[in-house]
Amino acid sequence: MGRGATTNSIPEIENCKFMLVIGSNTTEAHPVLALRMKKAVRKGATLVVADPRKIWLTKLAKRHLQLRPGSDVWLLNAIMHVILEEGLQDEDYIREYTEDLDAVREVVARYTPEQAEQVTGVPAADIVATAREYAGERKAAIFYTLGITEHACAIDNIWSLSNLVLMTGHLGYESTGLNALRGQNNVQGLNDAGANPTYFPGYQTIDEENRRKFSEAWGVPIPERPGYRLDQMMSGLHDGRVRALYLVGENPAHTEPNAHHVEEGLGKLEFVVAQDLFLNETSRAHANVVFPASSFAEKDGTFTNTERRVNRVRKAVPCPGEAREDWRIVVDLARALGARWPEYRTSEDVWNEFADLSPNWSGIRYDRIEEVGLQWPCTDREHPGSPYLYADRPARASGRGKFYPVEYKPPIEQPDSEFPFVLSTGRTLYHYNSATMTMREPGVLDKQEDPFVEINPEDAVALGIREGDWVRLVSRRGDLEARAAIGERVFPGLVWMALHFAQAKVNWLTHDVGDPLIGTPEYKVCAVRLEPVAP
Amino acid sequence: MVKFSLDGKTVSAPEGELLVYAAARHGVFIPTLCHDEKLDPYGGCRMCVVDVEGSPRPLPACATRVTAGLAVSTNSSVPQYRKTLTEMLLSEHLNANPGGRPNELLDMAEELGAAAPLILPDAKREPYEDRNRLMGYDPDACILCNRCVRYTQEVMQCSALSLEGRGPTARIVPTHGHSWLDTECELCGGCLSTCPTGAIYEKFHEGAPPQHERSLDQVKSTCTFCGVGCQIDLHVDPATKRIVKVTSDPGYVSNEGNLCVKGRFAFNFVHHPDRLTQPLVRGEDGELHPTSWDDALRVAAEGLRGVKERHGPQAIGVLASARLTMEENFLLQKLARTALETHSIHSCEAT
Repeated sequence: MGRGATTNSIPEIENCKFMLVIGSNTTEAHPVLALRMKKAVRKGATLVVADPRKIWLTKLAKRHLQLRPGSDVWLLNAIMHVILEEGLQDEDYIREYTEDLDAVREVVARYTPEQAEQVTGVPAADIVATAREYAGERKAAIFYTLGITEHACAIDNIWSLSNLVLMTGHLGYESTGLNALRGQNNVQGLNDAGANPTYFPGYQTIDEENRRKFSEAWGVPIPERPGYRLDQMMSGLHDGRVRALYLVGENPAHTEPNAHHVEEGLGKLEFVVAQDLFLNETSRAHANVVFPASSFAEKDGTFTNTERRVNRVRKAVPCPGEAREDWRIVVDLARALGARWPEYRTSEDVWNEFADLSPNWSGIRYDRIEEVGLQWPCTDREHPGSPYLYADRPARASGRGKFYPVEYKPPIEQPDSEFPFVLSTGRTLYHYNSATMTMREPGVLDKQEDPFVEINPEDAVALGIREGDWVRLVSRRGDLEARAAIGERVFPGLVWMALHFAQAKVNWLTHDVGDPLIGTPEYKVCAVRLEPVAP
Repeated sequence: MVKFSLDGKTVSAPEGELLVYAAARHGVFIPTLCHDEKLDPYGGCRMCVVDVEGSPRPLPACATRVTAGLAVSTNSSVPQYRKTLTEMLLSEHLNANPGGRPNELLDMAEELGAAAPLILPDAKREPYEDRNRLMGYDPDACILCNRCVRYTQEVMQCSALSLEGRGPTARIVPTHGHSWLDTECELCGGCLSTCPTGAIYEKFHEGAPPQHERSLDQVKSTCTFCGVGCQIDLHVDPATKRIVKVTSDPGYVSNEGNLCVKGRFAFNFVHHPDRLTQPLVRGEDGELHPTSWDDALRVAAEGLRGVKERHGPQAIGVLASARLTMEENFLLQKLARTALETHSIHSCEAT
């Protein structure tokens, strides 16, 4: 469609008439946004949840499509099969604003709901009903999170969703669209600001013209050679391409897949600079220098939320001891490295440089976001911001949304006799990522302290495991122990774990084969076996 | 739009709008206690009653909708009702221990000049203790307006709290009398945020601040725990410069004043003793040792420059973070692309 961002806004959700939530455990990962979904259901909206687990939202859902992990493409292609077969597509939209539907038509013709039932486990009738409801409602929106993207076929999944949205014309007005719910407070802003090897700030491609533009702005030549993505950096640790890392607020020894392998690679580095609030596994073992950094409450700046809204962050308390605001540390380090940067007196000075260089942000200035944040694109000071994208038409050069035919590819690691269970992973309400913050909050820990693994009662009985027992999970890459949480949230053959626990890092088990195009790791599917642990 | 009469003046409002909002837009403020704009109209506490022509008794403005020709009076016998009601509620409130918590009832009593009548209050209600460390409940401060229970049912759509008992023994309890930790309560604190009398209150991590909660400094900011970007107010004790609580305002666009357990309660990491307070440099003994900023920056710059000289700029990677602000991420990529001469900047939150 043209932009890597959520199309619509949070306040619009409550006016949706149909919502498909796929691969998003919204009430736990985005609890406050989920309140808008609950409100919409209370106002009569139809909710359909597609998720391998019986997550909380399935209680409100009209229908739960409990698909097998990694079979999303089959499900989505089958939904499109029904739409095209029954002529429910939006012909006007397709004609005016899209291209290459025929390629998709050809592929999805082979994905019948009946066969989809075999692969995904979702009854064909449910697929047909969902297709009719989604296509038949104008205010119909799709919400997804990492359940879609943390697969080796991440891009395929997103293209499938995009195909579905384009063929029904569910784009460019309120309470509709394709909404990627961003997991972290500023993951949208991180990419917007250009902390990405493929783009300058504001998604400006690294071509000759832009290299000239930034070179003029910054007064130094800009390198030509492309940079490494995260997964390339991680593999570069092992083959010597990468010899030094500057880690700011990052803990790759916890958060990256196949963590034992990453740990080994970090050990080979010649030099590591870490900048964080706390010492973590990575900095304790590998850092040569550690800079004490600032929490969100100790600095001024902005975060961009999942609806592209730039919100102010304000300093409320001083940094402890000699800790410094992160932006000041970066400026200090640049100076120590001999860089000639202008003097940045405040975070606003930094923002203004970014906004001056990035056309879609140039209208957003601190004085305009004192009370309420503005949503990009916002191209000049008179621009009111953009609650939803593609109001005129898709943002690609042709002005048309492109259909990409997608074939199903099974997950890379399949269960077998040695590792008979599929392990899927995710977040819980009570913790945040590697939990360096939430594990320090006793009142929250009371609700969830020990690592746990969700197991279906049928499997638990077969293995002789009872509620609360310690269980060992073993994959080809590592093992860990967790308490059994037995229940119907997972179906037989599937187990699920949260990623937050330092003493039982689920990434000791996951594999690091990612999407070939963007490198996103397949956190969501790997094969494990379970062993009861003698008490 | 329809026309109706408000204290003798003819005004207009959309048909069906709640009277309390229509009146406010025309400059007539009607106080409420059991009303919360997030919740369905309830009309339970009668604090907002007004006289409506043709009605045999006063009607609650928070649950009465505007119709054409409605004749409303807020200044006839209404102030007396309000004062009497406040006094009745105060008499049930005598044993309460609301400390310095915000209290809409006491504010209203002060404004109306209402004092608790000279009658013996009911016996103190049975106290309520819960082993969760975040929220407490003081039955004597509770006026049974049911806002907390309605919040759980209507906004969270869970069954965490219910109203139990009748008359003087009535109180709010977690479902089936379990601990808040053992029900489907998610500890979001929504009940606490909607409570008008401080009956549901924060159990402060470090003990309650000595002064009234309203004398805390408030700084508006953005929550750091997920991509929703809830707008929050950090309440800072001016004496200790520590965050003591977090609230949100119903007027904030993306979250409408709602928060989750992390946003409301998990802020103590900011002041945790494990926080790094000095730069560290690894010594020849292999351990990390405290040092000065100048030294740490020099060692970092020399180390990075050394790797660049030996292996080329491509051998250095920068991992930025979604924890950081836009400005910080912008500067980090500028550092990579200028001072370090590489486009190798990414993050673990690449998805």
